[in-house]
Amino acid sequence: MVLRRRDVLKLAGLGALGAVLPACGSQLPEPNVSAAGFGEDAKGSVRLWCRAATQAGVQVTVDRFHKVQDRIRVEVTPVLDSQYVTKLATAIRGRQVPDIVDIDDINSMLFLYRDALTDLTPLIAALPFRKAISPGHLGLAARDNRYYAVPYLADNSALFYNEQLLERAKVDPGTLTDFDGYLEAARRVRKLGPDVYGWSIAANSPGILGFVVQPHVWAADSRTIVGTVGSQRAAVAENKEVRRTLELYRTMWREGLLPRPNFADTGATWGSDFRAGKVGLLPANYSVSVLSADKEAKARTGVKLLAGPYGGSAFFDGGDNLCIPRGAQNASAAWEFAKFALDVPQQSSLPTGGYTPVRSDVATAQFRRSYPQAVAPLDRIQRGYAPPTLAYNLLFNQPDSPWIAMFRRAVFDGDVDGALEAGQRGFEKILEQAQL
Amino acid sequence: MALSGAPVRTQAGSRAASRGGVKLRRRRGGGSLTHPASTGWLLVSPALLFVAVFVLAPLLFAVYISLTNWPLIGSYRFIGLSNYAAILRDATFLHSVLYTLLYTGIVTLPILVVGYLMAVVVRARRRGSTLLRTVFFLPYVIGLSVLSFITVLEAQPDSGAINVVLRALGITNGSTAWLVDAKLGTALICALVIWGVSGLTMVMLVSGMQAIPRDTYESAEVDVASWWEREWHITIPMLQRSIAMCLILSVIGSFLAFTQFFILTQGGPGTATTPIVMYIYQRAFVQLQVGAATALSIVLVVVVGLISAGQFWLLREKH
Repeated sequence: MVLRRRDVLKLAGLGALGAVLPACGSQLPEPNVSAAGFGEDAKGSVRLWCRAATQAGVQVTVDRFHKVQDRIRVEVTPVLDSQYVTKLATAIRGRQVPDIVDIDDINSMLFLYRDALTDLTPLIAALPFRKAISPGHLGLAARDNRYYAVPYLADNSALFYNEQLLERAKVDPGTLTDFDGYLEAARRVRKLGPDVYGWSIAANSPGILGFVVQPHVWAADSRTIVGTVGSQRAAVAENKEVRRTLELYRTMWREGLLPRPNFADTGATWGSDFRAGKVGLLPANYSVSVLSADKEAKARTGVKLLAGPYGGSAFFDGGDNLCIPRGAQNASAAWEFAKFALDVPQQSSLPTGGYTPVRSDVATAQFRRSYPQAVAPLDRIQRGYAPPTLAYNLLFNQPDSPWIAMFRRAVFDGDVDGALEAGQRGFEKILEQAQL
Repeated sequence: MALSGAPVRTQAGSRAASRGGVKLRRRRGGGSLTHPASTGWLLVSPALLFVAVFVLAPLLFAVYISLTNWPLIGSYRFIGLSNYAAILRDATFLHSVLYTLLYTGIVTLPILVVGYLMAVVVRARRRGSTLLRTVFFLPYVIGLSVLSFITVLEAQPDSGAINVVLRALGITNGSTAWLVDAKLGTALICALVIWGVSGLTMVMLVSGMQAIPRDTYESAEVDVASWWEREWHITIPMLQRSIAMCLILSVIGSFLAFTQFFILTQGGPGTATTPIVMYIYQRAFVQLQVGAATALSIVLVVVVGLISAGQFWLLREKH
C-alpha cells in the first residue's frame, strides 16, 4: 500500500478529533439522593476536594470521622483557592469528579447554575438542625428554592475593637452602632498618639473591600445588586447607603484616622496594626483579628456586627459549602461525611482553624466561654448576607472590579459623585454580560 | 531522504543534466528512486504522530472551541465567528493590545543594549570574566516569578528596600506606592524585566562575539581603528544574526508577558497594566468564557507569527 501525504494528514486529523470530542460529552448523571438508605451505613472511599486554606481544619474533621467508623475512608485533596474553579470545572468536563467538594460559597453558585451539582434539598430538609443553619449562607446554595449545597464553615466579617484603646479614649463600645459613633470613636482613638489610628482597612485588596465594606450597606437593608440571577441590575449610583459609606471612609482618610499604608495594602499585612495594638477599630474576620493574635491581644479584643449609616447591623456570610458533584461515584458515603462535618462537635471546633460555625445552635455556654469573639454572628445569624450572583468575582474580587475602583476613587481621590456613576456603569456592564 | 516530490539534486547537477538533454523521470506518486515511499512515511511517522497529537489536535480543537460559546462550566453551542467579530468591539482588549505594544516598545531596546554592554564586558578571557558572566546571568536563572515576588515585598511603601533607599538618597519620602499606580507600576516592571532578561541576551551575544575571527580585529588594529570603530564596523555587522535572534525572542517574550504583571500589579489599577495574555487569562479563568478567550489566543498566535515573520524579513542578511 502506498501512503500519500494527504492520506496521512487525513488520518491524523480524524484521530485528533476522535481523541478530543469525547471530552465534550453531555451532563453527568445525578445521584439518587431519595434512594432508601442514602447517606447511611455507606462503605468505600470518598474523594474530597477542599480549599488549600481550609485543609488543616478539614483534615481534623476527616481524622475524627475515621476514628468513629471504619466503613468509609475519606481521601483529602487540597486545591489552591485561585485554581479551584478551573480545576473543578476541568474535572467535570473530563467526567472525573470527586465525591464531595468543600468550595467557597461564592463559587458554588457558578456550578449549581450550570447543573453540575446534586440537588440536596430533601437531605437538607431532613436535617434536625435545618432551621439553625445560616440563611445567608444557604442562600448561596439555592436555585429556584432547591438546595444544591450545604453550608459547612463560616468566614464572617465583623467590627473588632481594641477595648484598651477605646477605654483610654473614653469610648463606650455601645456607641459603635452607626457612622456617627464610628467617626467619634475613631477621632478619639487617633488623639491617643501619633502612631495610634482610629480605623484600619486593606484598601488595595478587592476581596477585603467587598468583604468588610458591603455589610454597611446591607445593615440598612439596602442592596447594590437587585433582582434574581439571570435578570440582575445594579443599584449603585442612587444608593444612599453606598454614598454614605464612601463618605465615611473619605472622611476618615482625609482626617488621617486611617494609617497611611492602608492606601497600598493588598491584604498582605491585614490586621497586623490592630494586633499590635495600634488601631482602635478593624473591620475583619475572626481569623485575622483573633486567631492570628497573641494571648494579650486576644484578651483586649471585642466584636460587634458592622453597622449601617443610621444603625442596623449585618455581616458578610462567607465561608465554604459542601457539594456533591453530579457523577460522584460514592455520593451516599459523601453525604454521610457531610452530616458528620455538620455535627455540633465538629462545628464547635471550627474557630481553632479561624472559621466559625454555620449553625446558630452551636453557640452554647461552653462555646461562648471558649470563643467569645466568634459568637456575634451566631447570635444574629439572620443578619448574614452575601450577594447571590454569578458575577461576584468580577464585581468585587478582581483588581479591575468596579467596587474597588469606586472605593478608591471616592476615598482617595475625593470624587464620590464620579465614583458612584462609574460604579453604576461598571456593575451594569458586568451584570449584563454575566446573565445566564 | 525525500518525503515526496522530485528527487534531491544539486543545482550544478540539474544544469548539467539539462545541458546534456538527459531528463530524470519522476517516480509515479513521488518518492525516492531507491526506496518505496512508504519507507519514508514509516520513518517519519513517530514524529508525525507526535505533532498530530500534541500540536495539530490541540490547535484544531482550539479553533473549534473559538467558534463556540464554550464556558468553563456547563454546556456549549456553536456560534460561528461571533467571538472573532466581538474582538474589535472589545475596548478592554484593544487597550491591552496598546499597553502590550507600549511595554514591548519600552523594554526591547534596553534589553538589547544592556545585554550587549554586558557581553562586551565579559567577552574577553580575562580574570573575573566567568564570575561576571555568572552574576549577569543569575537574574535570568532565578526567573521572573521569583524576582517578581521579591519585588512585591521590596516595593512596599515605607518598609520596602526600594523606598528605603530612595528615602535615604533624599529622592522621595519613602512612601511611594509603586504597585497601585499605572505609570509607576509599568516603570517598575520594565526595570525588573530589563534587569532580569538582559542576561540571556548577553549569553547569546557573547557566543556570537567569540565566533568572530580574531584576525579581523588584528587587521583593524593595524589600521589604527578605535574601539568604537571596531564595534561599529566589525562586531555589530558580524553579530547581525545573533542580534536579530535576540530581538525576535525579546519581542515574542514581551508580547507573551504575563508572570510579572500577574504577580506585581495584577493588571491594575483597573485594567491599566493588563497585557494581552493576562486579559486572555482573565477571560478564560475569571470570566469563565473559554470560547472567547480561545479566539483571542488564536488571534494572538497569528499576530505574533506575523510580527516574527516581519522581523525575520527586516533583519534578514542582505548579502
